[in-house]
Amino acid sequence: MSATLREDVERVAALARLAMSEEELSRMARELEAVLGYVASLAKVDTRDVPPTAHVVPLVTPLRDDVPAPPMDPGLALSNAPESDGSSFVVPKVIEAEEEG
Amino acid sequence: MPAPLGSLRECREALDQGRTSSAALVEQSLARAEAHAHLSAFVRLRAERARAEAQEADRRRAQGEVRSPLDGIPLAVKDNLVRAGEETTCASRILEGFVSPYTSGVLERIEAAGAISIGSTNMDEFAMGSSTEHSVYGPSRNPWDPARTPGGSSGGSAAAVAAGIVPMALGSDTGGSIRQPAGFCGVVGVKPTYGRVSRWGLVAFASSLDQVGAFARSAEDAAHVLDAIAGHDPRDSTSIPEPAPSCAAALDGDVAGLVVGLPREYYAADGIEPGVLDAVREACAQLERAGAKLREVSLPHSEHAVATYYLIATAEASSNLARYDGVRYGHRAQGAHSLSEMYERTRSEGFGAEVKRRILLGTYVLSAGYYDAYYRKAQQVRTLIRRDFEQAFRGCDVIATPTMPETAFRLGERTEDPLRMYLSDVYTVSANLAGLPGVSLPCGFSEGMPVGLQLLAPPLEEARLLRVADAYQRHTAHHLARPPEPA
Amino acid sequence: MTGVPHPRYEVVIGLEVHAQLRTRSKLFSPAPVTYGAEPNHSVHPVCLALPGVLPVLNGHAVELAIRVALASQCHVHPQSIFARKNYFYPDLPKGYQISQYEEPLATGGWLDVRMPDGNGGERKRVRLHRIHMEEDAGKSIHDAAVAGDATHVDLNRAGVALLEIVSEPDLRSPAEAAAYLRALRSLLRYVDASDADMERGNFRCDANISLRRHGESRLGTRTELKNLNSFRFVEAALEAEIRRQASLLDAGEKVVQATLQFDPASGRTRVLRLKENADDYRYFPDPDLVPLVLSDAQIERVRKTLPEQADARCERFQRQQGLPEEDARLLCESRALADFFEAAAKRHGDAETLVNWIRRDVLHALGEHGIEIEASRLTPEALADLVERVRQGGVTAQSARALIPELVLSGGDPLRLIQERGLEAVSDTGELEAAVDAVLREHAGHVERLRAGEEKVRNFLIGQVMKRTGGKADPAALRRVLAQRLGEGGS
Repeated sequence: MSATLREDVERVAALARLAMSEEELSRMARELEAVLGYVASLAKVDTRDVPPTAHVVPLVTPLRDDVPAPPMDPGLALSNAPESDGSSFVVPKVIEAEEEG
Repeated sequence: MPAPLGSLRECREALDQGRTSSAALVEQSLARAEAHAHLSAFVRLRAERARAEAQEADRRRAQGEVRSPLDGIPLAVKDNLVRAGEETTCASRILEGFVSPYTSGVLERIEAAGAISIGSTNMDEFAMGSSTEHSVYGPSRNPWDPARTPGGSSGGSAAAVAAGIVPMALGSDTGGSIRQPAGFCGVVGVKPTYGRVSRWGLVAFASSLDQVGAFARSAEDAAHVLDAIAGHDPRDSTSIPEPAPSCAAALDGDVAGLVVGLPREYYAADGIEPGVLDAVREACAQLERAGAKLREVSLPHSEHAVATYYLIATAEASSNLARYDGVRYGHRAQGAHSLSEMYERTRSEGFGAEVKRRILLGTYVLSAGYYDAYYRKAQQVRTLIRRDFEQAFRGCDVIATPTMPETAFRLGERTEDPLRMYLSDVYTVSANLAGLPGVSLPCGFSEGMPVGLQLLAPPLEEARLLRVADAYQRHTAHHLARPPEPA
Repeated sequence: MTGVPHPRYEVVIGLEVHAQLRTRSKLFSPAPVTYGAEPNHSVHPVCLALPGVLPVLNGHAVELAIRVALASQCHVHPQSIFARKNYFYPDLPKGYQISQYEEPLATGGWLDVRMPDGNGGERKRVRLHRIHMEEDAGKSIHDAAVAGDATHVDLNRAGVALLEIVSEPDLRSPAEAAAYLRALRSLLRYVDASDADMERGNFRCDANISLRRHGESRLGTRTELKNLNSFRFVEAALEAEIRRQASLLDAGEKVVQATLQFDPASGRTRVLRLKENADDYRYFPDPDLVPLVLSDAQIERVRKTLPEQADARCERFQRQQGLPEEDARLLCESRALADFFEAAAKRHGDAETLVNWIRRDVLHALGEHGIEIEASRLTPEALADLVERVRQGGVTAQSARALIPELVLSGGDPLRLIQERGLEAVSDTGELEAAVDAVLREHAGHVERLRAGEEKVRNFLIGQVMKRTGGKADPAALRRVLAQRLGEGGS
């Protein structure tokens, strides 16, 4: 198993917000390697001038009328929240380094 | 031991003739579920509501109001279809306790048809699996041999119908998750054309592949269920706008002159259990005796179907499952000190190993540097697979294959070998990639376990598909076989 | 100034604007679009990203986007694709944003912008790179006073339709950047696509800026400035960043690619995040949506609904109304102002007089009270009537002009106001004569001096009569009566 694959697994686990133990990481990397080797066989298929499938059934773009639905009851909107203050969803503080675009 | 429920048709006739009531059917169903608890087909029963709905159905019927051929009859629903006010978990810890505030399009239609759900069935977590072993509730078991898997991911629904707990059930099929368990459990399982049934309220696994479908004891029954749930839904942008023609109305038993295509790539003898090959060949011969013609066809890109499927399905899944972050619903890890810690621990605690595996693979497939070689490439090969079918269907009306190259394997046999698990989906995934309707029918036994015959039709041809399936069942009795009662 | 803002380096600026589209419901969710609502009072299962929900595209948002693309001369693509931009953040409920990536709605296009003090009146063409549609995120509130040691998430804004407009790096100074933003804002309002109000957060700007030596053709390393929420801040932030980058380069150091924030208190930019590890958003076409396909007929239909473009209208005002170019341009800066003028001109043919009143009095009153013409309660018809009444001599210009601020703020019928307050011009000869006689008696000394040839005394006497009549004396009649009472012949 290549070191780069192991690095890839770590990088990808971070992207997917999955924390993995050393043992899990090693096992995942092994399993991924097996599956990826199998998957690399696609590289041999000649796909010149073949468009990627956008959708299996060609459809006219469905559009919605700009009519607002009645808003959801806020209590219902928050009803499954693991933590809320009754009006907002509450999460642990975001530190600046985590801020996104 | 309460008697097994009859088929949908038998229940309907009994109701129509006043020999039974909805209330009685629901009681029988609930009692049967209890007696088969060892199969773990159900994760949650809704006894009180089912009884209330049954009373309503009986009251309506007494006043001459019968809503549909499904009215007043019990069914089971896979635990990935949401219903307002009720818990839906997709057999995952990360959705523990989640109560949806809205109802899926399919269940709205089921309710409108008058059918009564007695509970939610077990599944592989987030529909990722082929054995219903990857469930937070533990595995379901095959009624024909409880040491074996019922298949997956809709294993609970298949087992519930096979064990005579309910005459019909809903499932979802992304790479074979209805057809394969139907094959393993000896019942009918149908997946419609992609877009035929609304995905509004179906918890997404792989958006371009998922479809809701049905289990039943016969093709005729399955046709009635499909008729009830098919049709356009403006809340689903991938929903086919044209109304679905009735499948039940098309069942005339006539297959004279029908051309059945047999893809040579699917019949390579060394990949298939001999008993399976024999049963499927006999089924094709049966169709021939009924007037159909058999013709060899070719689907040259078949060998790439599983790879193509896994790249696309995992990529879409990795993105679809990003919403499970502990912020707005579901499980949240306790005592996290920062947002990143909260995300990581929530998702690591909440997802099972198979789901994590697929999220990782999917994230990898989409990540910078790999998108073109993996995801985009897979979508191109998908186009080639679709074209293979278009070409094949120019020379035949339906395609017949084994549903699986084998019968139900033992519980625990495959969980350490994901690659082997993936490969066994080889016959079913192409239909999802090409968006075709497909059905699995029981066509015999191999070493005591049911064998499934798969039929595929061109897009939008569910009626034709079920007509051929029904015609086959007029000449055979495999679909009437029932597993032995538990001791 | 489009003149060289920095002696040693050429400044290269590109701007990315996110403008909220004026739709009543969100881009992919039917939840209502609101402003200032209580947290989580404008949400729906779709924008909450509940399990099992699906997006459906808002047709009106598409129409508005096409309008903007056409109005800025872009090529509208017959097919565009919505793609998922994947990242984790609490105000991004799905864990991805539906945006457009490889195949956006429109590309190319430009704005011809009048730059301050530059080009001798010629406009500068600022090219557009692309325009695309995407959803907005919700709001995360980190303020300790509100949220303590936690972050509060409000999803009202999550899923609102945004138009992202990306310019080419054609801007050469902070002042040019501000001018471009004003022009873009004007365009968005002109086609009714967006309120484009920076204060309310529906017109947001990010800037990319780099420096290079004059004459150098390669671009320098650029940095990104985010969350610039007023025109003033945009200029100040860019100026600060120019100083920062220039001093690095002067010292022989390199500029590092980064995202920065501007701190108005210190007047400095500071690094938020280094860009060494480019974010991996894993874009791919959203499989819950189909490609957006637009026919030529659909695009033409939208083109026909476009209001007359500012330039064409400006030209027409010059041609049809005989207005000088400067006046026409002033009116056409805002569609509402041009509409106001045209409505007034329909009622009163003297376009030039109307323009004077608009510029001198109406715009002045608006400016004093900080409101836009759209908020003015003075109707064009009322202005026309007032101008006509002055022309007829029914009221003095002075009295009439004094009414404008009140009319602008509170509305009302000017003719009725004149009557109610007794503002009618005094041109009744008897009354005037009485006033003139009284003044001539009181200021006999001035009368002597006037008779002796000191003409400038006449104005003093006129002023006194005006005072005596409370400013209501019709000036022309006043002069006549005065001359007559002084025994001057003719007049």
